Amino acid sequence: MFSTKKSLIAAAVVASMAAGSALAMSSNDKGGDTAAAAGKIEGKWAANYREIIKENGGKYLDREVMEKILGSDVNSLRAKLDPNNPYSFEVDDSIDGGPHGNAQCKVPKAFVEVWDSAEKNEKADYIANKFGKPIAESALKIWEINVDGDGNGWPNVSEEEAVTVEKGGNIYVQFCGMCHGEFGEGAKGYLPLAVDEDLVTSDFRDPAPMKTIGNYWPYATTIFDYSRRAMPFWSPNSPAIGDKGYLGITAYLIQANGIPLDDEDTTLDDSDKATAQVIMAANKYMKNQGNFFCDHRPVTHNKRCMKDCPDYLVGDGAGNIHHYRQARRLPDGTPQYNVNQRLHEAPPGVGHAGF
Amino acid sequence: MTDNRVEEKVAVQSEESRSQSRRAFLKGSAAVAGGVLFTKAASADYDPKKAVAPYAGEKEITEPLQDGPWRKRLGFGVRRYPYGVPSPYEKDVQRRTLEWLTPDSMASITMTPIQSLHGIITPNGLHFERFHGGAADIDPKTHRLVIHGLVERPLIFTVDDLKRFPSISRIHFIECPANGAMEWKGVQLNSVQWTHGMMSCVEYTGVRLSDLLKEAGIKLDKARWIIPEGADASGMSRSIPLEIAMDDCFVAYAQNGEALRREQGYPIRLVVPGCEANMWVKYLRRIKVTDVPLQHREETSKYTELMPDGTAQRFSWYMEPNSVITYPSPDYRMQGPGKYYVRGLAWSGRGKVAHVDVSFDGGKNWHEAHFTSPVLDKAWTRFEIEWDWDGSEAFLMSRVTDETGYVQPPMPQMRAVEGTNNVYHRTAMVTWRVHAWDSKNGGLIENVQY
Repeated sequence: MFSTKKSLIAAAVVASMAAGSALAMSSNDKGGDTAAAAGKIEGKWAANYREIIKENGGKYLDREVMEKILGSDVNSLRAKLDPNNPYSFEVDDSIDGGPHGNAQCKVPKAFVEVWDSAEKNEKADYIANKFGKPIAESALKIWEINVDGDGNGWPNVSEEEAVTVEKGGNIYVQFCGMCHGEFGEGAKGYLPLAVDEDLVTSDFRDPAPMKTIGNYWPYATTIFDYSRRAMPFWSPNSPAIGDKGYLGITAYLIQANGIPLDDEDTTLDDSDKATAQVIMAANKYMKNQGNFFCDHRPVTHNKRCMKDCPDYLVGDGAGNIHHYRQARRLPDGTPQYNVNQRLHEAPPGVGHAGF
Repeated sequence: MTDNRVEEKVAVQSEESRSQSRRAFLKGSAAVAGGVLFTKAASADYDPKKAVAPYAGEKEITEPLQDGPWRKRLGFGVRRYPYGVPSPYEKDVQRRTLEWLTPDSMASITMTPIQSLHGIITPNGLHFERFHGGAADIDPKTHRLVIHGLVERPLIFTVDDLKRFPSISRIHFIECPANGAMEWKGVQLNSVQWTHGMMSCVEYTGVRLSDLLKEAGIKLDKARWIIPEGADASGMSRSIPLEIAMDDCFVAYAQNGEALRREQGYPIRLVVPGCEANMWVKYLRRIKVTDVPLQHREETSKYTELMPDGTAQRFSWYMEPNSVITYPSPDYRMQGPGKYYVRGLAWSGRGKVAHVDVSFDGGKNWHEAHFTSPVLDKAWTRFEIEWDWDGSEAFLMSRVTDETGYVQPPMPQMRAVEGTNNVYHRTAMVTWRVHAWDSKNGGLIENVQY
C-alpha cells in the first residue's frame, strides 16, 4: 500500500517541480556538456559520486557537480525519490517499517561531510569515563511516554478497563473542548482538530489550508502520544485523565474525523471500547498518510550569476524589477512601518494559523 | 507589550538611525564631492591633506563644547548592578512578538532585533524565544539526563556529571524553520526583526553527543534514530537520524560563557548545528536510542511543508543558506545620496558561507561583499559592501552561496516550486526598495516582494 502511494507522490512531485525546473533549466544549460563531461553516469546517476564531490572541493550542492552526478535532469528530482540515489532522503521500503508505513528518512549519501564525520565519530574507540550511574529501564516507567508510529509504547489498558468512545467524547469535552471546540472545530484561536479542508488552494494568496487530524496527520498514534505528553495545555499528562482517558480522547478524535478502521470504511461507534488496538487499526487508514515524502530540498540549483543575469533570476522572475508587491499602505500612501500600526488588527491570514 | 512602548521604540529607533545615517551621508557626500573614493585612497600613499580633503568647505563648529553632567559628579559605584544590564538608552532594543501570531504567550515566539545587533553574537537577553509550553524554571540540582533504548548500559547523569566530560565550545546560529513564515503569500512587515528575527547566534559550551551515546554503549548496528525529550510542559520531542546525532551534535550547558537562560532550556539543551531549532530540545531530560522514528506531533502535524499539490515534505532537518541586509533596512531611512556601507548577515545550515553578493537593481547585477567577521561553520557571517547611492530608486538584495555550492534563490523561483502554503523554510531572498531621494517618500526603505 505504502509503496504504491509513494510512487504516486513521486509523480506529483515531478509535476510540481516542472515549473521550477523549466525556469532553472532554461538558461543555465547553455554549455550543455556538463553531463557528458562526467562520462561516468551508470543508469540514472554516477556511482562514483563521492570521488566527483571530492574532486570538486566537497561542493555537493553545486549545480555543475550535481549535473555530473545526476545528469542533466538534476532539477526534475525524479531520481531523487529513488532511495539508491545519492541525493535521496528516502529510505528503501524494506527498512521502512513495513506495511504500517512508519516512514523513515535519511541524510542523503551525497552529503558526504555529514556521513564522514558521523563515521569517524562512530569508529573512534571509546572507554567510558564512568561519570554517569546505571539505571534500569523499569525505573523509567513514568518518564517513558513515547508511543511511536509502529505502536511501540502503548500503556497497558485492557478491553475491560478501556472507556467507550462516548465516554472519551465526554472527557474530551471536559478537558479539550474549550480550546479545540466540542467537535474539534477549534476555539479562541487554538487549533481545530477536525476540519476537513482541501489541502490545495487555487490562488497562492488564499489563506493556507487548515491542517487537522483528518485531512493532514499521517499517524493516529501521534494523537495519543501528543495529547498525553502535552495536553491539556495547563496540566499535561494529567492523572485526572489517565491512560484510559487519553485513549478515550484519541478514539473520540478518530471518530470525529471519520477515520475508517478497515477496508469496509467501518468507523467507531459510541459504544466501542477505546483501546490501543482500535487506534492501531485507524493508524493504517489515515487519509493523508500516503501524501508525505521525505524532504527533498534544496529545490533550486542555480549558478552564481554576477552580470546581466537571466530574466528568471531577476525581479518578478520575468526580468521586471518594478513589478513587486508591498504591504498595505497607510491612508497617506506611506508603507506601514511599525508594529503599532498592525497591533489589534485582524490577523492577515497568511499561512501561519496555529503556528 | 503595549502600544505606547512600541510607538516609543519606533520613534527612538528611527531618530537614532537617522543621525547614524546622517553622519554617513555627510562623510560620504563630501567624499564624492571631493573626488576621493575610499577604495582609491587605500591603494595610494597616505597624505593627510588628501585624507581630509572631503571636509573642504564644510562649516567649522566654533561654539565651545560644554561638559556634560556626568563630568561634574561621580558615577555609580561597583556592584550597583551585580549582574550588568544595558544602558537605559538602549531600552528599546528588545525581543518582540506579534500578538496575532498565537493565542497565548506560552506557545509563542519572540523575535531578535537583528536590525540593532552588530557582529555575529546575539546577547543572551536578546536571544529569540520559542516556547511550546512556557519556559520551565528548573532546579539544576534535581535535573537528570537519561540515555536509554538501544544501548548496552542505560545511564543517568546529573548536570554536574555532564560538566565532567571533555567540553567543546562552538559558535552556531539557531533558527526556527518558521523564520520568514509571514512573508510566504506576500510582504506585510517592515522590519528585519519580523522578517528574519526567529533566529540568534551564540557560543555554546557542552558535551559531544557522540561521547554521551558511546558512554552508554550505543548499539550502532541497530540504532537508527535518537529521540530527545524535554522536561518541560511540552515534553518537546523530535526524531533525529543517527548520522546527524553522531556528526556534530552536543548537549550544551552554557551559552555565551554563562549558564543557558531558562528561555533557552536551562540547565541543558541539545545543540543540532545547522538544523531546525525545534530539534534542539530544551530542558533535555531523556534521549532514547531507537530503530524507528517517533512520528511526534512536531514532525508530522507541524514542521512539515505543504506543497502546492497537497503533498507534504516531512523530516525536514537542515536550514538552507540564507542572508539578509540589516543596514540599510526598513527600520532605517536613507539620509540622502552618498556613501553607505551596506551590511548584513549570511548563514548556512550545511557549513560555511562562501560568498555573499549584493544587488542594487533587483537581481540583474551582483557585487561580491567582503566578510567583516570570522567565517565559521553553521554560524552567522557578517558581510559588508560599499555603495555610493546616487539617490535613484534602488532594489537591494543579498544572495549567499555556501561552501556546498548552493546559491540562494529569488522568491519567484522558490514560490514556483514550493507554493505558498508551506509555512516553513521560506529562505529565498528578500528585497528592500529604497525610494528615490526626490520622490514623495524619499529615502524610505520598504520591504517589497517579487
